[in-house]
Amino acid sequence: MAIFPVFDTASSALTTNRIWMDAISDNLANVNTIKPFDQPAFQARFIEAQELPSQPGDPIGVGGGVTAAAVEYGDSTGIERYEPGNPMANAQGIVRSPDVDLSQNMTDLIIAQRAYELNLAVVDRASQSYQQAIQINGK
Amino acid sequence: MTVSPIGSMMSAAAAGPTSAAQLAQGVQQAAPGATVDPTSAGGQAGGDFGNVVVNALQGVQDSQNTANTLAVQAATGDLTDVHNYTIAATEASLQTELTVAVRDRAVEAFNQIMAMQI
Repeated sequence: MAIFPVFDTASSALTTNRIWMDAISDNLANVNTIKPFDQPAFQARFIEAQELPSQPGDPIGVGGGVTAAAVEYGDSTGIERYEPGNPMANAQGIVRSPDVDLSQNMTDLIIAQRAYELNLAVVDRASQSYQQAIQINGK
Repeated sequence: MTVSPIGSMMSAAAAGPTSAAQLAQGVQQAAPGATVDPTSAGGQAGGDFGNVVVNALQGVQDSQNTANTLAVQAATGDLTDVHNYTIAATEASLQTELTVAVRDRAVEAFNQIMAMQI
């Protein structure tokens, strides 16, 4: 166990939220990725966050933090769209556009960013607290 | 009793390179000459004060090394998480501050004893 356990916990949360933002970024980057009808559409990424158990010997209150345990993928069917002018369209003029929920992803992006900020604030407050404790009765 | 290992440790530190291992040697050399066994004089499972300081120094060294490794990674572009470096640097600086604070208090206590009128 580290001497300042709060940093490890906050760090794990920061990493998880960074991974979430990476996934959202990929979803938003591919929002216009059109695929031919006979190929799977772009599948949106969903990050599965999972709490980590505390290590033996950790004092009460100290948890293991959080980790991005797995990534789930959205529907490969996508949205079948009628675009006869598209070179990738089949005989019926159908292409696959990704089933990426823009508003959901933008909302998630804001949540992830706020969560990242939140954990940075935790690091900041913890650092200030420890510093003040070190300076007790100091000159 | 706790004052004498610090004194010898300080002299060991002043004499040459201040690696944690050498400080540990300084403390161990001082122990046989001491009249009172530090572990019997209220010492607990953690060992005497000198060893505690040496362990703390090792911890400081480790955290500084971690921060340095991450700083190199940041410079070479291999750092995946920016916060890993900044948090490691914060942790290293906090640990150093803590060790410096402990040393300052110890030296202050030593000086107060030395300034005692006999």
